[in-house]
Amino acid sequence: MSTHSFSNETIENHDLAKAREQHFLPLSPAYVKVNLLCRLLICLIILVALVAVNWQPWFELPSPMQNAIPGLLIAIASLGFLLSVYGIIGDKVKGYALREHDLSYKSGVIFKSIISQPILRIQHVELKHGPIDRHVGLASLEVFSAGGAMHTFAIPGLPEEKARELRQYILEHGDIAANE
Amino acid sequence: MNNEQTSSIDTTTEEYRDKWLKLSPVAIIYFAIQFIKNTASNFVYLIPALVVGYQKLADNIVSILIGVAGILVFIAVSALVKFYFYQYRITGQRAQIHSGVFQKKHIDLPFERIQNIRFEQPIYYRFTDHVCMLLDTAGSSKAEAKIIALPKSVAETLKQEILLFKSHTSDTESQTETEQQHDQETVLNTRSVRDLVIHGLASNRIWIVLGALAPFFNAISEQVIEGIESFGVDVEALMSSTQYAMWQYILVIASATFIIVALLALISVIGSVITFYDFRLTRSGDRYIRRNGLFTRHEVAMRLRRLQMIVYQQNWLDRLLQRVNLKFEQLNSSVERHSASTAGGKIMVPSVTLSEAEELARDAWPEHQIGSIKFHPISKRLMVRNALVSFWLLVGSAIVISYFGHYQLSAALIALFLTSLPFIALRWKRWGYASDDQFIYIRKGLIGVSYRCFPIHKVQQTSFYQSWFMRRFKLCSVGFVLACGGQSIPFIKETTGDALIDNTLYRVEALKKSWM
Repeated sequence: MSTHSFSNETIENHDLAKAREQHFLPLSPAYVKVNLLCRLLICLIILVALVAVNWQPWFELPSPMQNAIPGLLIAIASLGFLLSVYGIIGDKVKGYALREHDLSYKSGVIFKSIISQPILRIQHVELKHGPIDRHVGLASLEVFSAGGAMHTFAIPGLPEEKARELRQYILEHGDIAANE
Repeated sequence: MNNEQTSSIDTTTEEYRDKWLKLSPVAIIYFAIQFIKNTASNFVYLIPALVVGYQKLADNIVSILIGVAGILVFIAVSALVKFYFYQYRITGQRAQIHSGVFQKKHIDLPFERIQNIRFEQPIYYRFTDHVCMLLDTAGSSKAEAKIIALPKSVAETLKQEILLFKSHTSDTESQTETEQQHDQETVLNTRSVRDLVIHGLASNRIWIVLGALAPFFNAISEQVIEGIESFGVDVEALMSSTQYAMWQYILVIASATFIIVALLALISVIGSVITFYDFRLTRSGDRYIRRNGLFTRHEVAMRLRRLQMIVYQQNWLDRLLQRVNLKFEQLNSSVERHSASTAGGKIMVPSVTLSEAEELARDAWPEHQIGSIKFHPISKRLMVRNALVSFWLLVGSAIVISYFGHYQLSAALIALFLTSLPFIALRWKRWGYASDDQFIYIRKGLIGVSYRCFPIHKVQQTSFYQSWFMRRFKLCSVGFVLACGGQSIPFIKETTGDALIDNTLYRVEALKKSWM
């Protein structure tokens, strides 16, 4: 696995490794596409539902609502478009990095964040894949520490193979054994 | 190993071993009260209905008495049945409990999974000297076992045995620790009733009650006026007449407010005394033990190495009175535990003086400098950011509202914005951070202030956070997740944030020290 060659040996020399200057790997391109499709689909469903409510034969909407519908359709469509574009940019920015002793996950366009999880503190690891993820061969890696469920470290949109490798790497890591 | 252990068993517990046992009959009271408590909490919403329908109820006094008697019989029967079906067994290495009438519950808890042993002594157990023994596990709260009535001496011996068993099975390092445990308990701190009164006065519960009542002020005042009128006083005439000067009204209102506040303060003081009565914090070996409570006695033990963070908390009254609430925070695995200060594993020492707090904290972590370290301020941009947010939210909506002609409301919003400014400044002023070789210190608050201190090597996870606004000014926020929850420092220099995170990760990963 190529990511194994990352090293922060410098730790021994007190010249601290920089958590922010790691080489972050992007998530799977399929993740970006799936997310985009999901967003568009949700937007479409809302639009169709609105149109259906307007055109259904059983009852007539009050006139202020009827007048508002075209504007509402445009607003939802443009909001959906903007969110999709922002979503693509956001998903492409997401990335993860693996060092000898920790995992990091980076995300955010306007609000950037980098979360680092020392492997020593990992209590257990989970692979999660929902129905859509399974279909396109994606998985997300969830790492639990004693920090509680609120602070679960998660990397979404990994190719399944990669996610398994990462899990294996964590489970076989020397730090975990030291933790026991 | 087991042989050695069985030989060490105290004779007091011999009859409590290896067979299924029933509880002491005093547990029936426990079951009954538990049942009443649960039912009452479910039907608390009915109280207003009962109050309203009081007149109707009073007419049918006989049927009500029959109903109440029926309920009492039902409670008694259910408590008896529960008592009958409750069995427990303690063998050489596990505690087993069978309980439940319709829904059977079987708990089988190996001693090595027990993380914490607590005692609770409700007031009705005090006459027969029984206790509830709570066996906590690290997992979910469902897995925790409660042996409902044990004679105190037996419970103490069992506790020692379980601890002994645990240390025998785990490595030799902790064996020495347990030997220390048999040392005499040394008392670190006790709280007198005077301290508890101060705690009751200073803790903000009064204001919470007032806040909760605020929506009903109108209804309450109407009720009060009606009540006064029923005594034949014509409030309307009183208010409109000119025979009383303005200052007299003000005096009446002021004294009424004073009485209400004093009453609420009294409630708060009583609450504090009930919860923390006869508070004792003792230490034996690496174990801190907290005992408190007027009616129900609580006993919580914490191992020193489980301690994650020390917090000094002061609200504005505490600051005036020069007192501190000292908290020792440990694991916070289940959410429901942090609700009450008496429940769960947190150890709070209420209203100690600064020097006492210092002494206690130093006893736990000798190297810490929470009282003496110099805190660095954070960037003033936090003030700017918050003021901008407040401006756009309040003044922005004020403009929109005034467009629709509600001038009074928009004036109120602008006034709110202006009053928010000093608070924003104060909030900034309270923020502070510092670090030394071993610890990170955070100071925060608004009117009150809290000082937090945690060892760097106990951090579970770090986070670095930067918005577009912060990037422009080379600022960042950093977060540290501990087993007792997350802590953050906002708006510090990017370089400082990087250094804090890199150093933290280094210390965690290179020292490989245990967090518990």
